[in-house]
Amino acid sequence: MKFIKPKDINNLYEIIDNIDRQYLLAGGTDINVQIKNGIIRNPNIIYINHLKELSGIEEENDSILIGSTTSFKDIIDSRIIKRHIPLIHSSLQNFASPLLQTSATIGGNIANGSPTADVIPILLALDAKLEICSKISCREVFLKDFFIGYKKNVMSNNELITKIIVAKNAEQKYQTFYKKVGSRNSLAIAKVAIAGLKKVENEKIMNIKLAVGSLNEYPRRLFKVEEYIMGKTLIEIDFNKVNEYLQQEITPISDLRSDKEYRYHVCVNLIRTFLNE
Amino acid sequence: MKISFTLNKEKVTIDVDPMKRLLDVLREDFNLLGAKESCGEGECGACTVLLNGKPVTSCILNAIHAEGKEVETVEGISKTKLGKLIMDCFDETNAVQCGFCFPGFFVSSYYYVKTDGEKDLMKIKRALSGNICRCTGYEKIFDSVMLACERSN
Repeated sequence: MKFIKPKDINNLYEIIDNIDRQYLLAGGTDINVQIKNGIIRNPNIIYINHLKELSGIEEENDSILIGSTTSFKDIIDSRIIKRHIPLIHSSLQNFASPLLQTSATIGGNIANGSPTADVIPILLALDAKLEICSKISCREVFLKDFFIGYKKNVMSNNELITKIIVAKNAEQKYQTFYKKVGSRNSLAIAKVAIAGLKKVENEKIMNIKLAVGSLNEYPRRLFKVEEYIMGKTLIEIDFNKVNEYLQQEITPISDLRSDKEYRYHVCVNLIRTFLNE
Repeated sequence: MKISFTLNKEKVTIDVDPMKRLLDVLREDFNLLGAKESCGEGECGACTVLLNGKPVTSCILNAIHAEGKEVETVEGISKTKLGKLIMDCFDETNAVQCGFCFPGFFVSSYYYVKTDGEKDLMKIKRALSGNICRCTGYEKIFDSVMLACERSN
């Protein structure tokens, strides 16, 4: 096991370019549990939580940029977030617990890639992008294209998430919805989570964005369901059709937290609730 | 690796494995036995301390997380004026049963009373939602924080 604390961000890019198997340590709330339980053994740890370039929330032109090691507490408390993207502010209130909100980072929640990660459905519904950088270059990737399998993503070993980018007007003129279903309010791992945005004009649903967590190998948008709903009024929507499309898009499993039938029905009911709001 | 930080208002430096858990650093290297290990996974809050003034679970933080920062434990906080006031409230409402979770609840309560302090049960419940009491004596704990909010104003 090796521990490295980069001098600065350029030094970090050099280091990750040269070490094969590594873990980036930011808040530590997931990695320390994995080390304790023996899921990660003798890791090469690269500490990144002290690098100022990776932390903080700022406005730039039409975007809000959230540094990847920004803690959830700083995001919840941010005036910029509250003003421009209140969905993020309100939906993260029950993220883990107040104690974990102080340590846990937004980039960590994404990079860890858990199917139940709380922040991912919210950011998916907001069409968020990630800035991913390496020694040589930076690129932007839509969050919807980031995951490619269970805990697998499009990043190479020499890259890291540096920023989360959300358009300032991402939820302007939209009604928003977020529901996390768990066994208790605090410290729950979601059985089902859903985030939604809809734009209604003359009773017609002009635009809708739906994202779910805990229902697939990674959180994802329900593009087929969205496409079916778009342009219809509430009475024109056939819920048997919604169910049909939903079945093509979610693959709930039974595990220690819930079973697949329950997850499926709760998801359908939550979509219905959101549309009726 | 040498790591320097402020511990209960005192500057300290130790030579330690940077990945050693902050909880173990406090208990083993500084003999501060107030913060407890229970779940060891950040879920129960028995190991709560303040890091740069904000409550964290020290069992899933590492020594490196304290570098250059301020750490306050139940030992330090309980000597402050507000700490004493809150301690008295826990005492008067008989909020402490077995006592294992108490240092964690105390630190979370202190943070709430200090930074918000509104006598609002729902807000208090949320502020203490990262701490678990296996004796399930929550009502009396909430009573004591309500009382502390009243007295500190």
